[in-house]
Amino acid sequence: MGIERYRTPRSLEEAAEILRAGNVTVLAGGTDLMPQTQSGKVRFQPVLMNVRRVPELQGIAEDGGVVRIGALATITELLESKLVRERLNLLWQACDHFASDQIRNAATIGGNVCNASPAGDTLVPLLALDARVVLAAKPNGALETRRVPLGEFIVGPGRTCRASGELLVAVEVPRPPAGFAGEFYKHGTRPGLDIAAISIAAGARRDGAVLRDVRVAFGAVAPTVIRAPRTEAVLEGRSPDAAALAAAARMALEEVQPISDVRATDWYRRELVHNMLKRVLTHVCQL
Amino acid sequence: MSANCDIAFTLNAVKRELTVPAGMSTLEMLRERLGLTGTKYGCGEGECGACTVIVDGATVNACLMFAADCDGRELMTIEGVAVSEAGERLRDAFVANGAVQCGFCTPGLVVQATHFIAQHPDADEAAIRRGIEGNLCRCTGYRKIIDAIAAAVHASSQGGEHGRG
Amino acid sequence: MGAGDKPVAGETLIGKRIPKMDAPDKASGKTRYLHDLEVPGTLHAKILRSSEVHARIVSIDTSAAKRLPGVHAVITAADVPWQRPIGVAKDHLPLKTDRVRSLRDEVAAVAADSEAIAEAALKLIRVDYAPLPVVTSAEQALAPGAPLIHPEPHGADASPHLKSPGAPVAFAGKPDNVAMVFDYAQGDVVQGEAESDLVIEDVFRLHYVTHCCMGVSGVIAEFDPSGNLLLYSNTQVPFLHKREFAELLGIDPGRIRIIQPPIGGGFGSKLDIYPFEPIAIFLAKITRRPVKLVFTREEEFVASPTRQPVLLKLRSGCRKDGTLTFRTVETVHDNGAYTSWGATTPFVMMQTVSSLYRVPHCKYHTRAIYTNNPYAGSFRGYGNLQATFAVEAHMDRLAEALGMDGLAFRLKNAQAPGEITPQGMHFRSCGFKECLATAAERSDFVRKQAENRARWKDPAAVKRGVGIASMLHVGGGAKIYPSDGCGTILKLDDFAHVTLITGASEIGQGSETVLSQLVCEELGLPLSAVTVINNDTDITPWDVGVHASRTTFIAGNSAIGAARKAKTKLLAAAATKTGLAEDALDLRAGCIVRKASGERLFELGKFLRGLHFSDRAELVMTSFYYEPPSKHQDKLFKGDVSAAYAWATQVCEVEVDTQTGIVRLLKVTGAHDVGRVLNRLGIEGQIEGGIVMGQGYAMTEDLMVEGGVVRNPNFRDYKLVTAPEIPEMDVSFIETMDGEGPQGAKGVGEAPAICIAAAVANAIYNATGTRITALPFTPENVYRALHGAAELPVWSAA
Repeated sequence: MGIERYRTPRSLEEAAEILRAGNVTVLAGGTDLMPQTQSGKVRFQPVLMNVRRVPELQGIAEDGGVVRIGALATITELLESKLVRERLNLLWQACDHFASDQIRNAATIGGNVCNASPAGDTLVPLLALDARVVLAAKPNGALETRRVPLGEFIVGPGRTCRASGELLVAVEVPRPPAGFAGEFYKHGTRPGLDIAAISIAAGARRDGAVLRDVRVAFGAVAPTVIRAPRTEAVLEGRSPDAAALAAAARMALEEVQPISDVRATDWYRRELVHNMLKRVLTHVCQL
Repeated sequence: MSANCDIAFTLNAVKRELTVPAGMSTLEMLRERLGLTGTKYGCGEGECGACTVIVDGATVNACLMFAADCDGRELMTIEGVAVSEAGERLRDAFVANGAVQCGFCTPGLVVQATHFIAQHPDADEAAIRRGIEGNLCRCTGYRKIIDAIAAAVHASSQGGEHGRG
Repeated sequence: MGAGDKPVAGETLIGKRIPKMDAPDKASGKTRYLHDLEVPGTLHAKILRSSEVHARIVSIDTSAAKRLPGVHAVITAADVPWQRPIGVAKDHLPLKTDRVRSLRDEVAAVAADSEAIAEAALKLIRVDYAPLPVVTSAEQALAPGAPLIHPEPHGADASPHLKSPGAPVAFAGKPDNVAMVFDYAQGDVVQGEAESDLVIEDVFRLHYVTHCCMGVSGVIAEFDPSGNLLLYSNTQVPFLHKREFAELLGIDPGRIRIIQPPIGGGFGSKLDIYPFEPIAIFLAKITRRPVKLVFTREEEFVASPTRQPVLLKLRSGCRKDGTLTFRTVETVHDNGAYTSWGATTPFVMMQTVSSLYRVPHCKYHTRAIYTNNPYAGSFRGYGNLQATFAVEAHMDRLAEALGMDGLAFRLKNAQAPGEITPQGMHFRSCGFKECLATAAERSDFVRKQAENRARWKDPAAVKRGVGIASMLHVGGGAKIYPSDGCGTILKLDDFAHVTLITGASEIGQGSETVLSQLVCEELGLPLSAVTVINNDTDITPWDVGVHASRTTFIAGNSAIGAARKAKTKLLAAAATKTGLAEDALDLRAGCIVRKASGERLFELGKFLRGLHFSDRAELVMTSFYYEPPSKHQDKLFKGDVSAAYAWATQVCEVEVDTQTGIVRLLKVTGAHDVGRVLNRLGIEGQIEGGIVMGQGYAMTEDLMVEGGVVRNPNFRDYKLVTAPEIPEMDVSFIETMDGEGPQGAKGVGEAPAICIAAAVANAIYNATGTRITALPFTPENVYRALHGAAELPVWSAA
């Protein structure tokens, strides 16, 4: 198995210290780590560090228009949080379509973000909501933090720019503007226990007859979850009539790069992106 | 070669101390080290729910949880749930409603349903279906499992004494 | 005596909702399945499977594995030169000698102190393969110059040291990749076609799915010091397997004992012997320790038999008045690398083609073709799902072409009680028309079919459809073995407690509860008075096994026979004691009573003690072997192969989202001719479970085999139906009171799964105007079909 030491730090300082020494695998909920190490996809480093007791990674709170979600917040805690449901409803919807109750009770948002799956259910709305990650480390003896926009944090399928000495501490999500409404769509025949063939998080607010603050993000149609800025631009400041939605759907097809895999072909993913973006936007405009 | 961890936890209301390899799953610990075979191996990947246990009051798939992570926590398996009042009520409902055929998925479902009912005492059919979406059954088609859980919801809302039958 | 006691009222158990006897333990987590058993001294075994789809084995080096601490044995075919082939065609050696023919092929095996050590040892085994060209379809296998999967007799091309002198060659090889051929005919299809006003033809493609029992496969093998073998096995056919294992080992079958622990699902998966079982036995023999071998879930997906995939061409016709004239079916069965029960599904398929609805002329032809793909086994329905999918698609198409509604067309051709089909099946009890009428009426089928069709041109993205389909299956056993019987031994103890010893296995369907119910009905006892023993071949009498939906019918009649003998004995003794006539007495509520008045004469326990502790010194012990009055089929596959037949009609209502291809199964309305409802709770559970299994086959499950490789060997990507997806289910029972069936009952185990896919196909057509002739109806497949982007099934086999 290769694990030589098992550590359970009780503070962020302690955790960062352990990370600085190197060769650490981080354990939070374990719902990704366990299957990945069992299958051999991921190999344990000599030190396994369980961060469950680090208090700085807990909690969901709002401060100055930013909702801070501790890395250890489970999907169930997000679902049960009034704050998340009211302020970050797009994220809340994704949590309701996340796996099963048993997995939601253990899976953490920090784990989901660091796993950086191209189909990550929480990642799509987080991206649409301009989330950023808070990373902490002790490179020179003192605890330092830095913030990275989620879109920059995820650099490839399953890859982030987290340095080996860094720990994901929290995800910060600025409150969307007043009147913002969004919908999360995940393609599948089941409410949750599906890996998305495609997923969409889209939202906007009405400014008279036109849309503002348009956000469109996709999952499972590119090497990482992606925003679709050109699609957003098609709709920004425009009245959401049939022509606009059709134009947005066409533009989206240029921004996605789906592949064929065991879940779907690239052709079908494109059809879904086109058809379901229109449908999601139609719903959003009615909200 | 894997480091060993000394863990201390509460299992079915009894304090336990154990030394486990760091990479061992809770499922393996329960079945192989502690002889508690009620929790089943169905897939080892968190997709079937046959290994559902309760940790600090919430259900999880034991196959996805590191045994070392049990340290300092409260675990309850089917063996503990089955002798609790809520678990007995649910068991009676499963039996009376024909929710058991081969029975392999049943322990995981009883544990999941016990927790679910405690969280959602007014659950309707749609909520119950979502509540057990992480538990696979190949024999029953779920219909009578849903009926049994609905009956147990109804029974528990009638009060403990009238909760049986 | 009971003078002055209130008369005893008997209350029947038949038709009641009876909870399963093993349910409380199962719901408490107390039941110990095979996986939970601990035999002292057990070694754990793992199998090394091929990493090539098709290759010669050049060499195997097990030396490093053998040296690993905790490893007790590492074996290859070289260590068991006496191994005999297994399976339906005896083309399957447990440990492969000179070549591997599929990715699941067993090349070596390890027995070690723990599973972890066994797995580590597997990684140390070095196998040198010389790849051979891979054959991934029947079409490829039949092409001229195709690589041969079984070119020579087994052993003939192996190294000399693997041959034991004088050993018979069990399997002669197949020079053309054709494993089996089936032909059936009734009447003359040429004449039938000439008489037709309407003739249609389609090609259907039925896919790979797999059983996905929640309990994975496993076995425990243990030899005692005298060389007697004890197997803990979840076999569904313990007595047949006892004999086959004996042949495999070259020992007397009397020296093999099979104990069946509670099973985590069967569905037909455990009707054949698969290599892992002999391999565990080999290891037990060599190490002289008990050996336990349990699959991982991935292994379960990769190495288990599948449902038989079928490419089927159906040509059928009718007259303009709606009477069917002929059906011609040709199929190609992908046999995979070795032959298991899947190749024999034509036995069942030809029955549906020849006899589901009245058809005078019929021709049926199957070729089962070797490839390097997974092999198919027996799976609930046994080919009937595939055949019904085609037949009911054509019933729909013919009806539509004639302008008749789907119900009227089917009623016109449905058989009635008393009919004997050209194949020789005698429909003594037959509720076919009632099933059709009931399901259609309760689902408002005719009106909805017309209404939905009228909406085809609607701009709405989401459309509704209803589809109807029926099925015919054996309901009173199937006489395919020399005997289709079941034995029962029954004893009553001094306290009127019954021990019912039956050969019939319990596989979760509730057989032990139903058998107890039937016995208690005869003996006037409560269910709590019965203990069932059904899981030890040293104790129980012979039964052919749990298959063909036969257990309630055959084991039920066997149990009733033994119970009636006991009743006769008791009432005869009571008649002697009271001077009353035997037929004036009865057993009711634990007593011997006057039949007419219910007056209590004796409490049964006391009476039994009186028989026992007296000069008579008699115990009440009886036995009965029931052989159903069915017939073996002749060489032309004709004959009344079952003692009864069963029907069901199901109407499926669906909602199709034409923008995504997602089909939701909203409601299934089913009417089942079950003869008689015995345990209402149990039979509902069987029907509901079967419906959902049918739903999975039709809509969500797809074992993706590409290039001989299973691409989705896990629950994440092989989609079983989950609780949120199940339809509303309305189930009616048509009680035709079969004359031979126990209390009138017939078998239902397979029925509910059989026609769901057919009904859903017809429903999708009713919703969209698109007929899809290939499974499964996954969102992408449906979307492609709706938008003209599907790969249509093509009849291309030479």
